[in-house]
Amino acid sequence: MKKLLALLLTGAMAFSITACGGEEPSDTSTGSDAAADAGENVAAGTEEGAAGGSGEATDITLWTYPVGKFADAETVNGFIASFNEKYPEINVSVEYLDYTSGDDQVTAAIEAGTTPDIILEGPERLVSNWGAKGKMVDLADLWDEEALADISATSEAVVNACKSPEGVFYEYPFCMTTHTMAINYELFEKADALQYINEDRTWTTENFEKALQALKDSGVETTGVVYCGGQGGDQGTRALAMNLYNAEFTDAEHTSWTMNSEAGVKGLQQLVDWSNEGLISYDAGAQAADELQLFANGTIAMSFCWNASNEAQYASQVAFTPYPVAFPSESGTPELAGGIWGFGIFDNGDAAKIDASKKFIEFICDDPVQGPISVASTGFFPVRSSYGNVYAGTEDEARMETFASFMPWLGDYYNVTGGWAEQRTAWWNMLQQIFGGEDVQTAADQYVEICNKATADAAQ
Amino acid sequence: MKKNTKNGVTKRSRALVMRETRSAYLFLLPALIFFVGFIVVPMVMCLVTSFFNYTMTDFEFVGFANYVEMFNDPVFIKALKNTILIVVVAVPAVTVFSLWVSTVIYPIHAASRSFFRCVFYLPVVTGTVAVAVVWKWMFNKYTGLFNYVLSETGVIDQNISWLGDEKFAIWCIILILFTTSIGQPIVLYVAALGNVDNSMVEAAQVDGATSFQTFWKIKWPAIMPTTLYIIVITTINSFQCYALIQLLTSGGPNHSTDTIMYYIYYEAFKLYRYGYGNAMGVVLAIIIAVFSALQFKLTRAGSAE
Amino acid sequence: MNSGVKRMTPYKVICIAIMIILAVLFIFPIYWIVTGSFKDPMAINAAIPEWFPKNPTLDNYVRLFKNPALQWLFNSVAISVLAMAFTCLTAAMAGYALAKKRFIGQKVLFSIFICAMALPKQVVLVPLLKEMSFLGLHDTLWAVILPTVGWPFGIFLMKQFSETIPTEMLEAVRIDGAGEIQTFTTIVLPIVKPGIGALAIFTFINTWNDYFLQLIMLNSKNTLTISLGIAKLQAEMSNDFGLIMAGAALGAIPIIAIFLMFQKYFTQGITMGAVKG
Repeated sequence: MKKLLALLLTGAMAFSITACGGEEPSDTSTGSDAAADAGENVAAGTEEGAAGGSGEATDITLWTYPVGKFADAETVNGFIASFNEKYPEINVSVEYLDYTSGDDQVTAAIEAGTTPDIILEGPERLVSNWGAKGKMVDLADLWDEEALADISATSEAVVNACKSPEGVFYEYPFCMTTHTMAINYELFEKADALQYINEDRTWTTENFEKALQALKDSGVETTGVVYCGGQGGDQGTRALAMNLYNAEFTDAEHTSWTMNSEAGVKGLQQLVDWSNEGLISYDAGAQAADELQLFANGTIAMSFCWNASNEAQYASQVAFTPYPVAFPSESGTPELAGGIWGFGIFDNGDAAKIDASKKFIEFICDDPVQGPISVASTGFFPVRSSYGNVYAGTEDEARMETFASFMPWLGDYYNVTGGWAEQRTAWWNMLQQIFGGEDVQTAADQYVEICNKATADAAQ
Repeated sequence: MKKNTKNGVTKRSRALVMRETRSAYLFLLPALIFFVGFIVVPMVMCLVTSFFNYTMTDFEFVGFANYVEMFNDPVFIKALKNTILIVVVAVPAVTVFSLWVSTVIYPIHAASRSFFRCVFYLPVVTGTVAVAVVWKWMFNKYTGLFNYVLSETGVIDQNISWLGDEKFAIWCIILILFTTSIGQPIVLYVAALGNVDNSMVEAAQVDGATSFQTFWKIKWPAIMPTTLYIIVITTINSFQCYALIQLLTSGGPNHSTDTIMYYIYYEAFKLYRYGYGNAMGVVLAIIIAVFSALQFKLTRAGSAE
Repeated sequence: MNSGVKRMTPYKVICIAIMIILAVLFIFPIYWIVTGSFKDPMAINAAIPEWFPKNPTLDNYVRLFKNPALQWLFNSVAISVLAMAFTCLTAAMAGYALAKKRFIGQKVLFSIFICAMALPKQVVLVPLLKEMSFLGLHDTLWAVILPTVGWPFGIFLMKQFSETIPTEMLEAVRIDGAGEIQTFTTIVLPIVKPGIGALAIFTFINTWNDYFLQLIMLNSKNTLTISLGIAKLQAEMSNDFGLIMAGAALGAIPIIAIFLMFQKYFTQGITMGAVKG
């Protein structure tokens, strides 16, 4: 026992020296191959830097949420290597967040004052959350006239989403997409339900119901699953419920929530009715990832959480043709939820780091060579109209063209409404309530009340 | 207690007390540094900030506003009820079950006793996260084991979303909590049974007492302190049920698995309402402290017997 | 004491039978983790579960080790071992003082320790976060280790053990002129050894499992632990159960092994400490 204890203590001391020996500069990669790779690049970069004498080295950190290949260390390290060829004096280290605990880690980092310099996500976090709380740097100098014109040409909505109500830019975007749904083409074919989908991949609510019925009749046990076990992938259920009767999710000014409107309630009620009739299922224990797996397995006939990136991710798993379609709507003209991703800079009070961060963002987003590569790595579309088709000539070209065809239906980017985080929780709780048998109008009113209160609190 | 320092307060004995005090505090010093530095200081900060509207951007004194809001917050009330449900169900279940297991495995061969003791301790050492993920898989509506077994045996005809159904979710959580909680009580009970005075048991048996009578009249009082200790630790653990909720249900469906612990986390880390979260923490601490104090009192009474 | 074995009543037979069934049920999750980690996606998602992997594959482990899983494991071990070592040392000293010294403020101090034990750890997280950032320790392993060591459970346990030290023995060595430190190392430590063993395992397991403290205090890949790693895998690929099980197995097997190796000390220690109430 004594020996054992001595051993443990020695071990502990050894550990304390090696493991906890302060803040060593974090390695820029994870995989061992990638590490070696990046190490070489960084080393090469440093040499060049020394030779060029281009000033002192700056260390910056980048945190990414899993946006396409930005979750993949090898890809990101490649980008950093290219960046270092141009700016050898800037060292970039990366941490990879996930959507479950990522927000908690950022919260903790903000409170502890250990935020990264750069963070990759969308306006709902960068602008309406951390930006509104005064934690982010104004990116006005990245949004020069050229960028503004180029991005405006794609969509004015993108520009507006990236700035606060006071007009301060907290996000510099580079890619965007629309979220759609997808059907199992073969199952639909077998059920003779393809006739209900228009040539342009839209469909009406009426036809959607017919399709559900046809699937049921052809023996499909579960057509689709309205997942509400958490907030993962909730843009799908939101788009589904609001489009059925063309409701608006918020008012145009993004100051109040409107899913308790007649159209909104009607859409929610429709889902409940379908669920009661057995035409559709709901699962309060599933999130989008669970639903996607079921879809990929061929267990269910449709997914409400589809986009170009998901299709790429599940491509190897599916034994059928996933066929992207718009969400069904009464009018036949859907309003699809969008995603806009880009970079923000946390204000850590160090001008040199902020400057270096801007250089990095500019390189990733705007470099004539790197920019399109960055966009393509996400599996989404460029916000810059001048990039044209970044997938031209690649094997993804045809697939991406399909998704590009949904762009005209890109709806209002209501995600920037204050109180967003509370809204997300309230949403899946509300779905759980109505599928659990609560009166839809009451539940929707309650939901809107919670959201409006959160929005009002956020505005203070 | 054993020493007679109270026999006349002479200068010498006072000097002795001072010397003892000094050396005692020297021995306590390392522990106190950690305790004060990383438990007491944050505790005090927590108490103080519970009277503030303390968020990521604000810090202003609001008196008891957080406490008032709490008791008007339907989610908090629901979380409180769920927490109490978990405690009220899990604590007796764990205590009774572990006592039963211990009485069964105590008399058997030492090797098999050791085997069973380890088996019931396994979920504890497996790690909360690992346990949570494997249960999540077993509870899965489509590919989970439970639905397969139950539908094969004809108990259910439709797959159940165990963690997604208000009727079942909290019971699933309690079940997992139960499996991760009984390891230590069993170890304790087996040990306590070993300390029961054997001569009394044998005497009772000679007098013709049934095994139930021997248990109830002789063994039960003897293991009383252990029982109370087990109740205390299980209560504290059950009150603090958090990781399972976070990893399995996020408090859903429809807040049916929200616990105070989870709600504190949600308010603080998702909505940045630190002051409000801290206020709830203070209330929870008071509740646990009251429970524990009562139980510690009982423990003392029990061991005095 | 083995009289029960000889007289097997039907009740006992039934009990043993139930016990064996329960044992199977308790072992099952571990079994499912280990076998699941060797299953291919087909088997994982099969509607009819494969009780034993028909086509065992190492693919899950290959993919697991594309993540810095060994670094996670190392961090978990580092945190647990350090917390264990510091806790054992400080608690043994404090427990001895509380049990065997008579000093001013003794009762108050002990009551404070007891009260603090009831406090839910998560409650102090935000203040703790501020404190760690003030000390510049956020996102280092120390941010997890220090609060764990501060937790008074160990002191409580070691106090219970130290009560068993015969006071006469302490007085005898003191008369022989032994200093405080000598008394502690030659008399106290050997007697409370089983208690230290128990506390060591207990602290190790608890630290290993303290998912939330790790989540808040650590955020870079250099400091990620195995618990965080598995949770991260689950967050990123919630239905890739094969990969997640591989991570779970990697996290669970070492600690189970440690437990099995040291369980003798553990059960001994836990017994003596707790029964005294």
